[in-house]
Amino acid sequence: MTEPTNHRSFGDSVTREGSNKLAVDSTPRHTRRMRRTAVTGFVGLTLLLAGCAGDAELDTLEPQGPDARTIDNFSNWLFIASFVVFFIIIGLSAGVAMKNRVKGDYEEGDWPEQVHGNNKAEIAWTALPAILMIAIAAFTVITLFDLNNDESNAYAVSVDGETMQWEPHVVVVGHQWWWEYRYYFDGFDVDAFLDEGHANPAKHLPEADIVTSGQMIIPAGQEIELSVTSRDVIHSHWIPALNGKRDAVPGRISPWKLEADEPGYYFGQCTEFCGLSHARMRMQTIALDDADFAAWVANQTSAAPLSGEDAAYVAALQAGEIPENPTEAQRGLDLLRSQCSGCHLIEGVNDDIWTQEGTEINLSAGAAPNLTHLASRSTFAGGIFPMYNKDGSLNQNALEAWLRDPAAVKANNADNRQGMPNLGLSEAQIDDLVAALALLGEKPEQWIITESFSE
Amino acid sequence: MAIIENPLELESGTVVEVAERPLGALTRPSGNTGWASWLFTVDHKRIGIMYGAFAMFFFLIGGLEALAIRLQLAVPNGKILSPEVYNQVFTMHGVTMIFLVIMPLAAAFANYLLPLQIGARDVAFPRMNALSLWVFVAGGFFLCSSLFIGGWFKNVPNGGWFNYAPNSGTLFSPTQGIDFYAVGLQILGIASLVSAINLIVTTLNMRAEGMTLMRMPVLTWMLLVVQFLLLFALPVITVALFLLMFDRLWGANFFNVEMGADPLLWQHLFWIFGHPEVYILILPSFGIISEVIPVFSRKPIFGYSFMVGSGIAIGFLGWGVWAHHMFVSGLGPISVAAFSVSTMMIAVPTGVKILNWVATMWGGKIRLTTAMLFAVGVVSMFTIGGLSGVTHSVSVADTQQTDTYYIVAHFHYVIFGGALLGIFSGFYFWWPKMFGYKLNEKWGKWNFWLQIVGFNLTFGPMHILGLQGMSRRIDSYDPGYGFETWNLVSSIGSFVIFFGVLIFIINIFVSKKQAEHLPPVGPDPWDARSLEWMTASPTPEHNFDEDIVVDSLDHFWHQKYGYDDDGNVVRIAYAEDVAQDGSNDNVHLPSPSYWPLVLSAGLPFIGYGVIYNYWLCAIGGFLVLGAIFGWIFEPPDDPDGGHGHHDDHGDDGDGHSADSSDADDSAEKTDDDLVSVGADTAEAGDAATTETTATAGEADNG
Repeated sequence: MTEPTNHRSFGDSVTREGSNKLAVDSTPRHTRRMRRTAVTGFVGLTLLLAGCAGDAELDTLEPQGPDARTIDNFSNWLFIASFVVFFIIIGLSAGVAMKNRVKGDYEEGDWPEQVHGNNKAEIAWTALPAILMIAIAAFTVITLFDLNNDESNAYAVSVDGETMQWEPHVVVVGHQWWWEYRYYFDGFDVDAFLDEGHANPAKHLPEADIVTSGQMIIPAGQEIELSVTSRDVIHSHWIPALNGKRDAVPGRISPWKLEADEPGYYFGQCTEFCGLSHARMRMQTIALDDADFAAWVANQTSAAPLSGEDAAYVAALQAGEIPENPTEAQRGLDLLRSQCSGCHLIEGVNDDIWTQEGTEINLSAGAAPNLTHLASRSTFAGGIFPMYNKDGSLNQNALEAWLRDPAAVKANNADNRQGMPNLGLSEAQIDDLVAALALLGEKPEQWIITESFSE
Repeated sequence: MAIIENPLELESGTVVEVAERPLGALTRPSGNTGWASWLFTVDHKRIGIMYGAFAMFFFLIGGLEALAIRLQLAVPNGKILSPEVYNQVFTMHGVTMIFLVIMPLAAAFANYLLPLQIGARDVAFPRMNALSLWVFVAGGFFLCSSLFIGGWFKNVPNGGWFNYAPNSGTLFSPTQGIDFYAVGLQILGIASLVSAINLIVTTLNMRAEGMTLMRMPVLTWMLLVVQFLLLFALPVITVALFLLMFDRLWGANFFNVEMGADPLLWQHLFWIFGHPEVYILILPSFGIISEVIPVFSRKPIFGYSFMVGSGIAIGFLGWGVWAHHMFVSGLGPISVAAFSVSTMMIAVPTGVKILNWVATMWGGKIRLTTAMLFAVGVVSMFTIGGLSGVTHSVSVADTQQTDTYYIVAHFHYVIFGGALLGIFSGFYFWWPKMFGYKLNEKWGKWNFWLQIVGFNLTFGPMHILGLQGMSRRIDSYDPGYGFETWNLVSSIGSFVIFFGVLIFIINIFVSKKQAEHLPPVGPDPWDARSLEWMTASPTPEHNFDEDIVVDSLDHFWHQKYGYDDDGNVVRIAYAEDVAQDGSNDNVHLPSPSYWPLVLSAGLPFIGYGVIYNYWLCAIGGFLVLGAIFGWIFEPPDDPDGGHGHHDDHGDDGDGHSADSSDADDSAEKTDDDLVSVGADTAEAGDAATTETTATAGEADNG
């Protein structure tokens, strides 16, 4: 390049063009050692990355579905390219710094050739990265649109003996600090719903066939469309093994999708900071085979599966009677109606009261988890506590601790309508409630219970 | 400022007799020793040093916050911080490090060096310069006071530095914390904006004769680009903060979803500021190492015009990439694709810079001084940050990486590995110029190696943690997710960094002590290239005894060296012969002023006022308005003041007879010294004002 040189030179002021001698031709021993270090470093790092990935439930590098795999395949190339560039640059800068090193102070007249630049070199290393980036950009755009394509297939679902073709689709709603999953088997037209013009549409979602929380149950091998939204602040829904994340933005319903190759238990974590208990806002996606999924749908679309006596007891309560000699669980059902109906809907238990008061829920999100089939989930309270012990027995300790003082086991700010308040229950009441909660829903299969533990 | 120099009376030709101190309530402060001389100084060098000192103080606070975070996360289910406090601490760590550490440290170098590097005697508006310092200090202490006001950790910002709506609304964050954020950042924004305008005007108008734009050092160029970024980015965040403040304090509904607001509005506003902000943080360091690497490679910077051009390109492209922070927010694939591609393009000029630094070292004779070690550290560490940046410019990959520790690793490699290491390189390089003694190299190397090892130990594992799925901003994690080992390593690393920084602080005192027994460092201890080395160390208050007429890039080097017939470098002069000795005490300098400090002191009162009690606003408003009046009517100079200058501007300073007195004075030696400094200012105003322009900027007339 032409420098605006104005040298006070003794001789002719030559504009020196770079004679870039390669470092390799001198001191080969030095460079060889460096190259060996670099290779060792690379292999070491790769092993390290591979080795540490084994036990991580949220690992992004072990995709279990086609979407996550598409991302992973692309990322692998990116990582390799990055490593190559990394070693070139580190090698060059450290190598040149070591090779050209002068110990101690400069001596008088100890000057290298004064190279001001080299246009060819500059153009080369402007163009090469540009070409590389354009290539990456092209692949990015192609993959991006691929990942945003809706490729779901109709899936037969039987609800109340009626078989319908479901375009697999789940509405995902974030709350402080738990996730709600809503299933509309006869379809849910997001655009038409948004046209209704609600300021915070998530608070006006139509009644769904299934409303569950903490765990999204999907049929394996099917692409599931998601409509992600939030009732309060921004959250982000992320099941790393199945796909990347999508923010749940209140006021918006964002499309996303995921798919699991095989039946399995996939961990997730809210990834957009959403306030006090962001760390404890988790969720799982459980992929079931077709038969299990059909069974799950059948269960969830019915009311809480109370036994005959318990159902009769609840019916009596609903009729305004006060039956005598209730069992522990029956006392708990009574408490559920009197203590929990302000927020939680339990179909078959408090829907008579809840429908009257449901619009006045004292939570900034305007909703609390639907507990109708609580016991069919393997985690509770925002997907963080196991509902069952590893041996399959009910996790009484966790349930009791939760009812005793929710904020003590999962930070919340109930005074500000964020999270479940401390109801000031007596120990006897807590025991009753736990007995009643155990009735709500069928226990999940043992493999699901076992998988629920992160260890 | 040349415009301000021309009072209207001059134009109309009316000469009005006025008292020597028209309406000036106080005489101007004087003297250049003692603490008062620092409080009221308008000297860009003292202001730069204070910027650095306050920023280092905040650096310790931000560093302690970082250590608290790492202690909490060292083991699963950490109990050291409650979730509530953790959210406050990580928010304050981010806000502190960005707004109170890296930005002001860059401002420290900008203030100290930029006028020197262009051969000016001060910035264009010296009092405004003092104002930006004190407003920064006021804003910084205001923000940090949230830590204890109303009780420890009761009213601290807790929404993250990005402070997304609607989590930042009173509904979800009812404490006063986010009010402190909204008001505090507005105060800090004033500081940066004032400083940006000041330095832009300085660079464009006050360069020495012959110092064309393409002869400016790369550092000056990068600082100029940064000032333009600040100038355009800060209004955007100010608007956002203003809306937030109205939402929170006066019930507006800009971010209230229930009233139909779209919370993505905040994200767009924030990141339109926030992404250029990244370049605001990193470009000064790019400039610093572009000065350091040539000196310790004994070669000119490779591809000067490409270095400048790529810096400008980064500055421009930096405006078109903000939505890459929002790839998963549901923008839709078209927007995501556009921002993904634009983000990738910014890698190109960045890559050019990295390769040019390497090419500068190529074939050079490299002395691995501490400054140089830090500079090479920037080249390699920033490369890692840049490459991980490329992996999430790919929006597809970003859906897995965003909001995980992979991102935390990435931006620490950019901001710590890039910006902060560069700033440390600058410390070691310019310390002798600023304080007259070199920092000890042995301690310096300990400082460097501890810091670089600690840094990689802390942030390297975070790449793995992120890819393993560890989410950002979580106050604790359960065992069994595979997060244990690397979090522990990371926490250990953070303490290694701590010791590195500790050694730097010790080094300052050790070196000062040692320097008592060492010969003075002289004007040019590193055999350097740019103009700041052409005057005595520490820099005399008036910078240069005589105006420098620049005839090339690296003018100073070309004064010392030339080429023989074979093109070899030969010495033609010694630095001591070319450099000025700072002995000229006949240079007229702007007088110190009380008012920048008073004005700044008013702002926190207004801040506390809008949050707690409007009466405080009245006090703050009184201080601000009073200071503005004082500023305007302050006498031009204190004729009795003994700040060491031949003072012949007793009456031209008030502007009314400037024309004639300048004409008379111009024969005197003092004025000869001054006139030519502002070569470029001739176009900005009338020649009669060139003298004051060159000397004092607006100080004489305000």
